[in-house]
Amino acid sequence: MTKELVLIPEALVLATALLLLLAGRFGGVPPSLRPQLPALVAGVVLIALVLELWLGATLASLFDGGFVQDRFALFAKAAVLLAAGTAIAVADWSAEDSVSVGLAMQLLAAFGVMVAASAGDFVGLWAGLELAAAAGVVLVGLRRPDLGLRLLVAGGVATALLGIGFAFVYATAGTADLFLIRGAMELAGPTVPLAVPVLLLLGGLAVRASIAPFHIASIPAALGATPLGAGLVLGLVAAGAFIVAIKVVAVLSPVPQVFSAYLAVIAAVAMVGGGAAALAVRAPRARLAYLAVSQAGWVAAGLATNYRDGLAGALFLVGAFTLAAACGPVVLGGVEGGEASLAGMGALRPARAAGIAIAFLSLAGAPPLAGFFGEFAVAAALAQGGHFELLALGVLGSVLSVAAALGTLRVLYIQSPPEEARRGGGLALPALTALSTAGAVALFVVIAAYGVFGNPIFGLAFQGAEALGLR
Amino acid sequence: MIAVSIALGAVQAASPTPAPVTVGGAGIFTSSLLLSILVWTPVLVAAVIAVLPNPRGRYDGLMKQIAFFTNVGLLFVLWVAYNQFENFLSDPQFQENLPWLRSIGAVYHLGVDGPGMLMLILSGLVGIASVLASFGVRERVRSYFCLLLVSEACVNGAVVAHDMFVLLLFWGAATVPLALLVLGWGGPRREAAAWRLVGYWGLGTIALLVAVMALYAATGSTSFDMDVLLKTTLSPRMQLAVGAAVLVAAATRLPLFPFHGWVRDVYSEAPVGVCVIVAGSATRLGALVLIRVLVGAEPIAAQLLSPLVAGMAAVTVIYAGLVVLRSVDLRDAAAHLALVPGGVTVLGVAALSPLAIGGSVLSLFSGGLAAALIVGVCATVADRAQSRSMYVLRGLAPRMPNLTWLMLFAVFGILGVPLMASFTAETMTFFGSLKNQPVGAFAVALGLAVVAAGLAVIVHRVLFASPNPDAPGVSDAALGETWFLAILAGALLWVGVFPSGPKLPGTDQAIFDPGIVTTLAAGITDIASPYAVAK
Repeated sequence: MTKELVLIPEALVLATALLLLLAGRFGGVPPSLRPQLPALVAGVVLIALVLELWLGATLASLFDGGFVQDRFALFAKAAVLLAAGTAIAVADWSAEDSVSVGLAMQLLAAFGVMVAASAGDFVGLWAGLELAAAAGVVLVGLRRPDLGLRLLVAGGVATALLGIGFAFVYATAGTADLFLIRGAMELAGPTVPLAVPVLLLLGGLAVRASIAPFHIASIPAALGATPLGAGLVLGLVAAGAFIVAIKVVAVLSPVPQVFSAYLAVIAAVAMVGGGAAALAVRAPRARLAYLAVSQAGWVAAGLATNYRDGLAGALFLVGAFTLAAACGPVVLGGVEGGEASLAGMGALRPARAAGIAIAFLSLAGAPPLAGFFGEFAVAAALAQGGHFELLALGVLGSVLSVAAALGTLRVLYIQSPPEEARRGGGLALPALTALSTAGAVALFVVIAAYGVFGNPIFGLAFQGAEALGLR
Repeated sequence: MIAVSIALGAVQAASPTPAPVTVGGAGIFTSSLLLSILVWTPVLVAAVIAVLPNPRGRYDGLMKQIAFFTNVGLLFVLWVAYNQFENFLSDPQFQENLPWLRSIGAVYHLGVDGPGMLMLILSGLVGIASVLASFGVRERVRSYFCLLLVSEACVNGAVVAHDMFVLLLFWGAATVPLALLVLGWGGPRREAAAWRLVGYWGLGTIALLVAVMALYAATGSTSFDMDVLLKTTLSPRMQLAVGAAVLVAAATRLPLFPFHGWVRDVYSEAPVGVCVIVAGSATRLGALVLIRVLVGAEPIAAQLLSPLVAGMAAVTVIYAGLVVLRSVDLRDAAAHLALVPGGVTVLGVAALSPLAIGGSVLSLFSGGLAAALIVGVCATVADRAQSRSMYVLRGLAPRMPNLTWLMLFAVFGILGVPLMASFTAETMTFFGSLKNQPVGAFAVALGLAVVAAGLAVIVHRVLFASPNPDAPGVSDAALGETWFLAILAGALLWVGVFPSGPKLPGTDQAIFDPGIVTTLAAGITDIASPYAVAK
């Protein structure tokens, strides 16, 4: 088996995305095939996931080290493919503006994250993240051009920050290769000229990850987007940013003084601020978005620990986060009528309601779901590192988040549904299809099983952290 | 005199005398998954109920029956486990130890010692009582019983957890179904009640997590197993930090003053079945964790914190008594009365003598029953009399004979009147506390006197005063209500009369109940060993 075979999942995802764009542009999809398109694409993503797990187990380095297939890449790519496939399956496609563009952007975003996960240098990291973010802008702009523009401008700022940060680190190390930069950092030591660009770099990543207090563009954009667009911005793009952040932190691990304090502050603000904001808002999608912000804070806290267990915990949590944050808004649907749209859904659409409930609870960190296990792994690393103040703030944020999630669960399962006669467009129930029901059930099972049967996943995350050269 | 001699007999039995007792039932039924059955069966049944078709609530009755018979089955399994329990082993029994999350050192380790077995029996009895108390639920029956079963599973899981990760998992998870039950089926102020529950219990979860993580970090960050975390000797400073965090966790759950802010709203607003499970078993987890971690593993911190713990116990009981004295709302008064057994339990924790610790453990059981009974009976009276105001509820005894008896049992249970299990527990606790915590014991006794005065006022007003002619119509308890209260009252009385179990006349042969007091000895020896030497 040649090592180029590890590129097959990426190739499959990219080819499908391009095919969808071309078919959408030139009307190449036969009308009879259109209703089956999401199922077909979900199937393709599933095949890509299986191939990734099979072929991706081979360690490989291609393009002169520009593409690295290691355990970290395997974990990250498997997580993002699982999230993208589940989101496609669970989506109510009647609420989307364009099936082909929606599917293509989802795939392009996943491809971008996969590129970043396998990147061996700054160019790959930057390009992968930008591709994922661009897909988000397209999908948001499709329904709300104003919000798309806002996201584009904010994204431009993030790109600039990232670019400056990368350039300064490159200037310090004299190379863009991640492995070589790490070696150079061991020699360079912590300096103020390094700390400033790292601050800019992390700021850019925080904007991309929608992490408080840098969530001002992406959350409004996600609120106005279609469900799939919201999931893409809140889940896949943020996952891409985290994957880049993990790789950057691994590279900078010899000089933790230049990033640990920033990350700790960002984590504290996001964990508590996200939880408090989730409790304060009532609109379901906004609440979900803030729950995602709070959990993103936990990922940042894991990175702030700057050692293998913390990064492994953060990586494990990124998997859980990506799944819930990418699929949560999608399974939630349009919810134009606010909280009332969800009233009594537990009785009317039990599978979808279960999917919504589990996404909310997982993002809130409620036991015994994927998010809880991930947050616990990070908490264990924080304790090991003696960051008890961060740990206490994180748990406070989680308590606020659980309280917020309970508010939505109450609407789902305890409030009575509105009378059918009073159901307007805003309160319309999501369309019921076999694929969306199966997707909701799959989401439920995956999130529930992620932690409970998490030993192999944990193991892979730890191998991933080791692959980044951490001890 | 008979009661006193029974209590003294119980005191003797609680002492670690190595005389094995033959128990009926041993070896009849064995399962290496016994504890998992107790934890996961309610979850599986809840999942089955959740997916059963129930068009327009046609099978609501079936859902209730499934929940009821599940609890009966669990109680049977518990009875077998109770009879097979080896009373003189200090190690946890029925252990299950499976690798789980190796990377962080979490294992699926379950096991039960004497205090745990008492808590399991309590949870089984309270489980049946709460299902019977919930037979009157008419709305969203499926969701209600699913959540109730999941709550029971969480309590059982926290009791049998022998790994701190598993304990935290169930400890934290218990909040979600209980808060939803309050939120969905509570009274007019249910939202405030649910959020307060989440807030206070969340604070407790934070504290417990911090304690667990501190232990994890201090013991080398390799395992969450209690055999590792609780058997490592820590520095006094670290012990104090862990002990303080555990005390906060226990105080929010049990609750103790000043962490009792959720009590009034939850016990006043939650449906009766939920009140029973919260007051009966879920809150006792706080004291169990306090005994296991603070007393059992951090002896220096336990000694240092004991005056504070005794103070919290005393203030809790006195505060509860004063509130009851001036309360005009029956459910509000019951909510505060439910604080009293927790105060007594914690006095035993503060005293740090083997006898007091034994009394404290027994008080977990008797206090859970008494708290569930008082909260349940007052809620039932308020429901049946269509009012909670004690200006309206007057002279109900002639019209509510069953509830009158049950309310009197509840009052006796709270006060620790002879022949009630709480009498044995309180006797052990006070006798064990007089030497080490004389001021605390006196203050708690004073508080009990205030509580007694408050209860006398309530009983006189509600049951025996001249009836209020303007009061709405009242009716006695329905069959399900009578049964759920009778189960709790009966258990209190049974353990009060037979604390060491009934014996064949003229022999030391236990008939079918090896005795709660005999059972609690397992594990207590280990927990109490650092304090066995008189100061």
